Amino acid sequence: MTMKTGSGSQDDRHSFGSAAIARLLLDNITYVVFAAVTVFFMAVAPNFASFGTAEAILRVTALVSIMAVGMSFVIICAEIDLSVGSVASWSGMLVAMLLEAGVPVQVAPIIALLGGGGIGLLTGLLVTKLHIPSFLVTLGMLSVFSGLSLTVTTTMPVPIIDADFADVLWNGDLIGVPAPIWWTLITVLVGFYLLHYTVFGRRVFAVGGGVTAARFSGIKTDQTKIWAFVLSGMTASLAGMMLAARSSAGNPSLGQGLELDVIAAVIIGGTSLFGGYGSILGAVVGAVFIGTLGFGLLVMGLSSSIQEVIKGIIIIAAVALNRRR
Amino acid sequence: MEMATRSDGSPECSRAALVSMQDISKSFGENRVLRGISFDVYPGEVHALLGGNGAGKSTLMKVLMGVYAADAGRIFLNGKDISGESVQEHLAQGIAMIFQELSLLPNLTVAQNLFLGREPRKPGWRIDSKRLNEEARALIEQYRFGLKAHDRVGTLGFAQRQMVEILKAISRGAKVLVMDEPTSSLSLREETQLFKIIEELQSRGLGIVYISHRMAEVFRLAQRISIIKDGQVIGPLDTTRTSMPEVASLMSTQEADVAETVRPASRTIDRSQPVLRVEGLRTKRKLDGLTFEIASGEVLGVCGLVGSGRSTLAKALFGLLDDVAGRFIIDGKPLKIGNPAASIAAGIGFVPEDRRLEGLVLSLGLSRNVTMAKLAARIGPSWLSNGWGESDFAQFRQKLNINCRRASQLVAELSGGNQQKVVFAKWLATRPRLLILDEPTNGVDVNAKAEMRAAIRAATAQGIAVLLISSELDELVMAADRVILMVDGHITRELSELGSEADLHTLLQVDIAAVRDAGQPQDSAI
Repeated sequence: MTMKTGSGSQDDRHSFGSAAIARLLLDNITYVVFAAVTVFFMAVAPNFASFGTAEAILRVTALVSIMAVGMSFVIICAEIDLSVGSVASWSGMLVAMLLEAGVPVQVAPIIALLGGGGIGLLTGLLVTKLHIPSFLVTLGMLSVFSGLSLTVTTTMPVPIIDADFADVLWNGDLIGVPAPIWWTLITVLVGFYLLHYTVFGRRVFAVGGGVTAARFSGIKTDQTKIWAFVLSGMTASLAGMMLAARSSAGNPSLGQGLELDVIAAVIIGGTSLFGGYGSILGAVVGAVFIGTLGFGLLVMGLSSSIQEVIKGIIIIAAVALNRRR
Repeated sequence: MEMATRSDGSPECSRAALVSMQDISKSFGENRVLRGISFDVYPGEVHALLGGNGAGKSTLMKVLMGVYAADAGRIFLNGKDISGESVQEHLAQGIAMIFQELSLLPNLTVAQNLFLGREPRKPGWRIDSKRLNEEARALIEQYRFGLKAHDRVGTLGFAQRQMVEILKAISRGAKVLVMDEPTSSLSLREETQLFKIIEELQSRGLGIVYISHRMAEVFRLAQRISIIKDGQVIGPLDTTRTSMPEVASLMSTQEADVAETVRPASRTIDRSQPVLRVEGLRTKRKLDGLTFEIASGEVLGVCGLVGSGRSTLAKALFGLLDDVAGRFIIDGKPLKIGNPAASIAAGIGFVPEDRRLEGLVLSLGLSRNVTMAKLAARIGPSWLSNGWGESDFAQFRQKLNINCRRASQLVAELSGGNQQKVVFAKWLATRPRLLILDEPTNGVDVNAKAEMRAAIRAATAQGIAVLLISSELDELVMAADRVILMVDGHITRELSELGSEADLHTLLQVDIAAVRDAGQPQDSAI
């Protein structure tokens, strides 16, 4: 910039300025598309622009956001976890059955949470010690746990009568903010801290960016990956319990198909499917984006089948625009 | 900005240039990488292109390949202006590049690779495998390469893959071949073979652009030498009318560096308490009972061919292999084998051979790479601010003279020499007792080599023991206090008095011959 002098400088500066803005917009294209979609709904859909809408969106987004936090660690490690939806179903079933069996309400969720972590641990061990691609291991896990959820009660839902459980996880609120939004905030803060401010987080980026170089630097790459799967299992489990709280029952098919929204949220948020790049906030923005899209299309009165089509197209478009050049 | 010294008295000026680049300029943003460079190649000529890391060699070659469009200047191929055309068109016109990272498919055979994308067809979109193999065989025959058409490329060694790559380029009608550091992964014998191939190609009228940091082979092969420095060209020089010192000094920014890096003659090393003692190190396949010691402040050189087990030795010491037997003692304490974290904790640092794959995480910034080993060893806090590690980096940036813009810059953007300094810094940050350096100057320029040697010396001055593995014998002679010779997983000889590079070469050849001879009857007995 130091060389620019004389009459041309005004024009140069102007073109440089607009180029910089264009660049900034391109670099954050997901946010731009997100903003555009939101503005579109605010203009077109009746009563879209309201606090009520925002709260409703964050509520429905809570589950995907929470699972996306765990998934971010796995994907930044250059792995994938397809089992989160059925782990969520399983955890909902597990906690409902534990409560039904008389396990105290303070204990049952912790057992379910550890159970989710245990599933992650098993996945991680299979991926790292037996060198099976995570795509296959978690595809298997998806099948195993959706099958188990159905089997334990021969496909019957298990009702949850404990009001405290439902209040803390879903129905209640604290200083005017609903419980699911609190849980989202807590998970996001913990995830953000772990990924961006701890040794573990740096190892995750190192493992995903170059697993050989990380190993050659003495980083325990297997251990790092296993922990990422544990986190994913635990967030899936938390989301599953929240789902159970929402419907006051453990239902074996509650989490079905959630994995696709979760993975989409992480990728829309700018995390590379090949590992090494990504952020927690991006994943949350991705989740909220998907939620906004669904809600807006619903408010506009489109049928849920058409919603799915439009959602799919916009997700592909967002990722296509966001791909790294 | 008038660039001087383009010799007009080139011996080939009677003939027309095969390819000629004229006054090429290229900038990336504010960074003017090429400033009016002219470069040409005549048929049957090897024109060497030298220059420091980041001087602009690769950018110039990418312009030649059509990967980048030049901001100014023209490219002529056989007198025809091809400036501004795409990579595909440049390839079709006959400009081909042999990459360091070879672009072959390991799951296909040699023949399938040679004709990839233009396989002979039979009606009904079927591939005519018979003709494919026949044509491949004819091609191999014609150039007398030691290849078999039906071998799977994945089973071939690096040298043979390189031959396939070359053959593929020629069979696609290449007239100009760009070779980027073609010998960097070859053993001595393979090198000689490659040189024969290059001579054969020359005799068939191909023009070759030869990029290398190894001065000796440049002087052996090239007719002319051009040096790129700071985006400008020096030369071309006629090889017969110049000398290695002259070329080295032309490339160098500080001429004093090269001379100053010779090993200080008198150094006293206290060998009574070695930093590392290795006893009976063996692995299942490669190593066979190695025993040696390295003292504090000593550089132990390892001299051997590719495949002699020297890199296996490094990996075994660092704990990357799990089939290792033997005893390692560091500062009097036994080391847990097969655990890199334990090795780091005991004070071992390892600069691996392949810095882009094994040394660096290319998606991360410089300070993150520098602090990675520290991270693994849990030296430092477990709560990290965003700027953690930047002071480490700032310190090494200055100490090792790392040329970069800022600490968060992606390591992939640096030149090879500077990348290697980052790997070096990564280990110095852990305050090691022993540094294992596997080919630390592979693919870096003369200046960066000198700087690496200075860094090694600075490390030994602090009492760090160094295990230096290198294919460049002059480097061993210059930097090592003692050298062990390795052949087929054995230590054949230990030299505490180092003679010249030539002596070392001779001794290695003698040992190789001895081991091969000794091995022959044994094999047949079994």
